[in-house]
Amino acid sequence: MGRQVAITSAGFSEHASKRSDVSMPELVNEAIEDCLTKVPSVELDDIDAFVNGNMPAFEGSNLPELWMTDWMGARNKPLMRITTGGTTGGSVAIGGYYTVTAELPGIDTVLAVAFEQQSQGDTSVGLASVAYGEISILNSLGISYGQLNRLLSGGAAIGVAAYQATNYMSKSKITEEDLARVVVQNRRNAAKTWWAHLKMPDLTIEDVLDTPYIQYPLRYGMVCPASDGAVAMLFTTEEKAKDMCDIPVYVNGVASVANETAVLGYDGSGSAQVDPSAQIGAMKSAELAYSQAGISFPRKEIDYAEVYAPFPNQELMWDEKLGLFEETTAPEMYETGVTARDGELPVNCSGGVNSTNAIGASAMERPAVAALQIMGKASNQVPKTVHTSIGSGWGGSLNFITLMVMSDEPKRKWK
Amino acid sequence: MTEKVIEKNKGLVKADFAFWVGLYMDKFYDGFEQKKIMANKCPECGSVFVPPRKICGKCRIKLPIDENWIELGDKGKLINFTRTAYKVSDRRARKSKSLKDYGMVQIEGSDTAIVYPLIDFEENDLKMGTEVKIQWKENPSGGPSDIEGFVKL
Repeated sequence: MGRQVAITSAGFSEHASKRSDVSMPELVNEAIEDCLTKVPSVELDDIDAFVNGNMPAFEGSNLPELWMTDWMGARNKPLMRITTGGTTGGSVAIGGYYTVTAELPGIDTVLAVAFEQQSQGDTSVGLASVAYGEISILNSLGISYGQLNRLLSGGAAIGVAAYQATNYMSKSKITEEDLARVVVQNRRNAAKTWWAHLKMPDLTIEDVLDTPYIQYPLRYGMVCPASDGAVAMLFTTEEKAKDMCDIPVYVNGVASVANETAVLGYDGSGSAQVDPSAQIGAMKSAELAYSQAGISFPRKEIDYAEVYAPFPNQELMWDEKLGLFEETTAPEMYETGVTARDGELPVNCSGGVNSTNAIGASAMERPAVAALQIMGKASNQVPKTVHTSIGSGWGGSLNFITLMVMSDEPKRKWK
Repeated sequence: MTEKVIEKNKGLVKADFAFWVGLYMDKFYDGFEQKKIMANKCPECGSVFVPPRKICGKCRIKLPIDENWIELGDKGKLINFTRTAYKVSDRRARKSKSLKDYGMVQIEGSDTAIVYPLIDFEENDLKMGTEVKIQWKENPSGGPSDIEGFVKL
């Protein structure tokens, strides 16, 4: 194992559906400025290496890291680029962690930046490239276009998420009202987060259920927006972290697990994986990251969770799969207020991906908010003291999962 | 059971892309309306940027939006070039009937270069260091194509 890694700061740009007032590098620079104002002793010059990521297919700007090199302060410094679909942000954060823990000579402080300016391009076309990639596999298995029994790319990501939602709903026996309740909690939380996109302080369950279906059971009012935005996180060593900020946040577990996609299971029939809400990948990533962090009872030991969920059914499902609640009990937790800001285990107090989704940045905004909650610097800070928190990511065809476990205490050492 | 085709798409998948120029480039293109080249200067190392930018990569400092602006002339020198048989912006008929020249030009007084077509250049003229001048469009509207290209001095 490498050396202990700490997060000392995280920053955001303002998120909106169209940030046409700034160019892509300027948007990224906004997040970096916000990140560095929280650690006054650190300047751009003090950063030793950079990790950068987004989904270039969504904006149509290739190699954006070269365009924004100067805007990140990365000229003549090591720079790594990562793109892994929806989990891009999670992978960038994990990349930042590994760059520090690797003990490379001269590299102690690393700035990780993830962003997306979706209004520049066409995200649906970008996402279609994912769906079409799947189709090409099906074709090679001998299944023709005519035999495809689903609308794979219907409404972009909803095309695959809707099946996951119905699967989960039949398992946990919940109604659309339970889905709407999750949305209401998220959008109201977003209203208290300065950088969030969809702020709806007065949203009610009835309002959500009053919107039309995009694809059953997901209604217009339930799905995430398409945002422009950026996030930055500062990783450094245990020793340097103590000089930079009052409460360093230690990264004690990271995991990135890919499962076989259930989409292949449907159409390829014969594949082992047919239930997109089974999420073996999420369970494996939780197992891996918690074992690294020495967490045996996630429900008791984790104080705050940021779960990547563009759709409300996913938030419920992943809460369970990441070990926060027992199977099929998550909807009840939202009803009884366990997951609320002042609840026992607050979830997504930033409003989550459901309220703000700059795709490349989303999976890094989760660990970023979770870290700020430990520091006590989050925009919608929970009233209780947070010792341990998690931030997850989802991508691919519902099958890539990233997870980061953070704590205010360094990792327990083996004896 | 009868089948009915509701919608049929015979065309190619089409995706539109935009390019937000941002705060600093906005001032640059506003200058085009008066046929002016606006640049900004780093107060620390003195580098002059065309087009203007927010951060000096060398000094890693922020250049404030309302300071350090300077106006440059329309002359410059060729620092790199290419000759191609393809059109850059037309996707339907990409092959061009004649060869096109494109050049990177360093505007006099600046430390960076911009890329535009080179107009009426012979093969012999394509040399690094050739002195060139901006050819403005007759009615500039504040966009990138207000500069038609560069001509020899």
